[in-house]
Amino acid sequence: MSEALLSVRGVNRTFGAGPAAVHALRDVSFDVEPGTMVALVGRSGSGKTTLLNVIGGLDRPDSGTVVVDGLDLGGLDEDGLSRLRRERVSYIFQTFGLIPVLSAAENVGVPLRLARAAPAEREQRVALLLDLVGLADHAQQRPGELSGGQQQRVAIARALAASPRLLIADEPTGQLDAETGLAVMALLRGVVESEGVTAVVATHDPVMMALADRVVHIADGHVTP
Amino acid sequence: MIALHWPSIRGRARADLGPLLLVALVVAAVVLLAGATPPLIRSTSDDATREAVRRAADDAAVRVEAEWPDDYGPTGGRLRTPELAIDVANVGTRAEGELDESLRSALQPPVTSVSSISLAITDGSVQRRLQLEYLSTATGEPAVTWVAGRAPGASTDDEFREIPLNGPPWPVQVGLSETDAAALGVKPGDRIPVQDEQRNPYDVRVTGVFRPADVNDPVWGPAPWVLQPAANRDGFGSTRFGALLTAESVPDARLAFRTDQLRRVVRFDADPAGLTWEKAQALAASVARLKGGSAVSAERDPSLKWSTQLDNVLSDLRDQIASTTAQASVLLIAVLAVALLVIALAADLLTHRRTGALTTARHRGASLPGLATELAVESLAVTVPAALLGLALAFVLAGGAALTWVVPFVVVVVCALPAFGTLAAARATRDRRAPANRSARHWIRRTEVIRRFAVDAAVVALAAASLVALRQRGVGSTVDLPAAAPALGALAVTLLVARLLPLGTGLALRLALRSRRPLALFGAARAAAASSRALPALTLTAALALGSFALTLYATADRGLAEGAWQTTGADARLDLSSGSGSGSADDVAARAAAAPGVRHVVAAQVTENAQFIADNTAVPARLIVVDTAAFRELLADTPLPGLPALPTATDGGPVPALVRTGDGSLSPGVRFSLPVVTNQAIALTAAGTAPALGSGDDVVVIDAGAAGPEYEPNTIWATGPGAADALRKAAPGDRVTVRADLLHDRRTAPLTEGLSRLCLLTAGILLALGLLGFALAAAASAPQRWETLARLRTLGLRPRDTRRVAVGELLPPVVVAALCAPPLGALLGWLTLGPLALRLLTAQATDPVTVTPWWTITVVTVVALAVALPAIVAVEASSRRRRRLSEVLRVGG
Repeated sequence: MSEALLSVRGVNRTFGAGPAAVHALRDVSFDVEPGTMVALVGRSGSGKTTLLNVIGGLDRPDSGTVVVDGLDLGGLDEDGLSRLRRERVSYIFQTFGLIPVLSAAENVGVPLRLARAAPAEREQRVALLLDLVGLADHAQQRPGELSGGQQQRVAIARALAASPRLLIADEPTGQLDAETGLAVMALLRGVVESEGVTAVVATHDPVMMALADRVVHIADGHVTP
Repeated sequence: MIALHWPSIRGRARADLGPLLLVALVVAAVVLLAGATPPLIRSTSDDATREAVRRAADDAAVRVEAEWPDDYGPTGGRLRTPELAIDVANVGTRAEGELDESLRSALQPPVTSVSSISLAITDGSVQRRLQLEYLSTATGEPAVTWVAGRAPGASTDDEFREIPLNGPPWPVQVGLSETDAAALGVKPGDRIPVQDEQRNPYDVRVTGVFRPADVNDPVWGPAPWVLQPAANRDGFGSTRFGALLTAESVPDARLAFRTDQLRRVVRFDADPAGLTWEKAQALAASVARLKGGSAVSAERDPSLKWSTQLDNVLSDLRDQIASTTAQASVLLIAVLAVALLVIALAADLLTHRRTGALTTARHRGASLPGLATELAVESLAVTVPAALLGLALAFVLAGGAALTWVVPFVVVVVCALPAFGTLAAARATRDRRAPANRSARHWIRRTEVIRRFAVDAAVVALAAASLVALRQRGVGSTVDLPAAAPALGALAVTLLVARLLPLGTGLALRLALRSRRPLALFGAARAAAASSRALPALTLTAALALGSFALTLYATADRGLAEGAWQTTGADARLDLSSGSGSGSADDVAARAAAAPGVRHVVAAQVTENAQFIADNTAVPARLIVVDTAAFRELLADTPLPGLPALPTATDGGPVPALVRTGDGSLSPGVRFSLPVVTNQAIALTAAGTAPALGSGDDVVVIDAGAAGPEYEPNTIWATGPGAADALRKAAPGDRVTVRADLLHDRRTAPLTEGLSRLCLLTAGILLALGLLGFALAAAASAPQRWETLARLRTLGLRPRDTRRVAVGELLPPVVVAALCAPPLGALLGWLTLGPLALRLLTAQATDPVTVTPWWTITVVTVVALAVALPAIVAVEASSRRRRRLSEVLRVGG
């Protein structure tokens, strides 16, 4: 068994205090092997998003440790976390989060610009990724000119642009119809395999669960096998 | 029946307490300004009225004249009337009886006078004139002490003597003041040799020399030359002396002069205390009525003839007040326009904050009318108390409050807040989806563009119409379109610039895409996304442009006042020599002044106001300046006044060359004209060049002293240099010195000009504050979206400290537009609109002052304000989000 790319140990996260406190995560521990796709499944309010935020360094746990690609996130300051997100972790959001005035290609190139990639290298990588997600012919179109599914494909390409080790997706098909959602799921599965990336995908879509290598259930902040 | 959900109203108000309080603050401040300005203008006008009437003095006096009845005696001669003084007093009583109450309360008790024609003194001095005067008030004749001789009495013991019509000159006894007697060199018992224009002699006998008990007694007002000789009263180069008649001697004066050579006049001096502008207007109407009823008749008519310049003084004042009111209206409309834009931004902010809640309320069954009513209730609860507070403050600070501007403003504000919210709720919940058909979507976009273009075109057309109306007919006394010209002009130009803004940000984005700096790209991308909102750039730029306009108005008025003071004074200081003063000759005084320290140039001149020239058989009144033109040219070169062109040398027997300037062009270079003088033939003149504007009027004639001949007797001395005023005061202690700096101070602190200056500065400050507030509100409205986007960029690896730079980049376009466009737009508005606003009426210049734009002040204030505001807003936004984790921002937005 190879070393885990993601290791979560004894993570707790509580919002608020006193009687009104909400325990979003309670003693959560699990590992994710490199190159696997994990589906994080749970009902609304079960703690999926909180767990993804903690894993991705967008939030800090009250206790416990999160180690990504050998890096303990608890020991990173804001700049360290920024570097982590720039180099090792990428996100795919339910609402896509694209920049409306930039074309699809320019949106995909944003992480490469942050990584100070050379223009030629950037253009080559962008073209490759757009081809990978099937949008080579839509490279110059702006998000407003694309369908929801196409926008999410652009978001996936952008997430892969900086060659991250860990891909975090929070309900990536939440705003898509069933058919488009299925296509996006298939694409995600495909890029995990082709790019060798590890993915943690929060979903309550049964199809996604079927495509995942492993399913982690979460309920009331507890992870159940 | 619309049911209100009070918990929702209270909940929304609590959640948005800050923005609502800000709206209340803006409403209170604007209502204070709009409510207080009209009463302040009114009270300033009252002060200006009293000041104008006080300064007009002689011109503001109301005079009543009644021709004498026939005095033929039984044998066909003229019959002496011993009770003539009583008859004259009765004329005063009759005149008082004809005054209506408003006029009587504005005038001081009358002074009755009997004045002879001006007689030439034939003692060898060709320029001296004598006028006989009888003066009395309700309390009697002026109090004097006879220091030599006795008071004039009757020339005959026969009180009712009848004299033949063609008899010898009838003797008249008169008294002289000490000053006049000394200047004339006569003493009691002497006769003063005098004759009229037809060389008829008169027998004037001096019986005494008096000293007035009070030189400031109003009784002397109609004839100050009785106390002091007066220069140029009877034309070029003359000096008028006055001889005092008494009740005993005035019947003899009646016999000594033909009926048309002796005038009886009742004079009412205006009483400025207690005078208001409203009363003055009624006064002007009464005076005009009295003057209108004084028909001129060729027949002997003993009825009262009224004359005064008071109506002209008030007419000039009315023009000044109208000019000031117009300028105040223009500034007030500018503030109101920008305040409404700020209110729109506040409503937009509230709408941004409430769209979710309002949408939820709609989904739960709330109707649009119900939501609109709830929002209106909230709006009333915020706006009305704030407006009342503003009005109360206006009452306290200005002693009153006007509703003319306040009511429309408050109504618009009350409607704006619910209108924005209801529209947002309607848009969010309407069941209209974007059509799938591309051409249908294209058509919708086109319709939107056409609608926007129509609105823009309407604003531009309205601005153009207001500008044309302003330039054609000026600003009226009421709220009208021309007064809105600067505000509409600023809005129209700024709107066009705001519409072009997306092109600029698009260009910046293309450049940033070529750049290797990611921050530049993110900033440009955010800026391009945000630049489609015209309101922030519109508000900030219009506010700063109108603020620049207010400062331009201030600077132009201030420079105009300075130039007006130079024109009126003619130098750093001017001395008006009186003929009887003991200062010595003008040349001596000038020499003493020139020798004083701190004096650079001194020039003596003979200045005659309203000298009557004859050109093409038409009388042309103008200010005549007889001066050593070479010295005068040097003096003018030491001042900001225009230079004096060279005059050709006069040829023997030829016309005297003159520099001329007349407002109506009646004297222009090449014209031949003449100046009639008292004793000699007319002086022939030829206009050899154009004179600079010298003095308050626009009509002036300058001739060289060397060409004026014996008529030249300087009565004015100009001096330049820091010590000029002191030098002239010391050189001629008894004479009037006008100091330019003092005159400028007086004019700057005059009620109307000082009030306008303060309003300009206050308006500029308020507009700057409103502009920055509007910018902050616009930033607050877009902040959630901005910081959510920044948070997403942070998930891609953007460092926290770089987010501020990107935020600055997003907010930069309206700031850049304002910094680049506002100062020149303000200057352009000043250049286009200040002429029709008739600033010359306040600056006492002959022509409109040149527009002065204080570029440095405007640029520095604009740049510093924006350079401080932009980072400050971003810092506050960043600070308020510092404690929020990235996950929280992404979950709930900004």
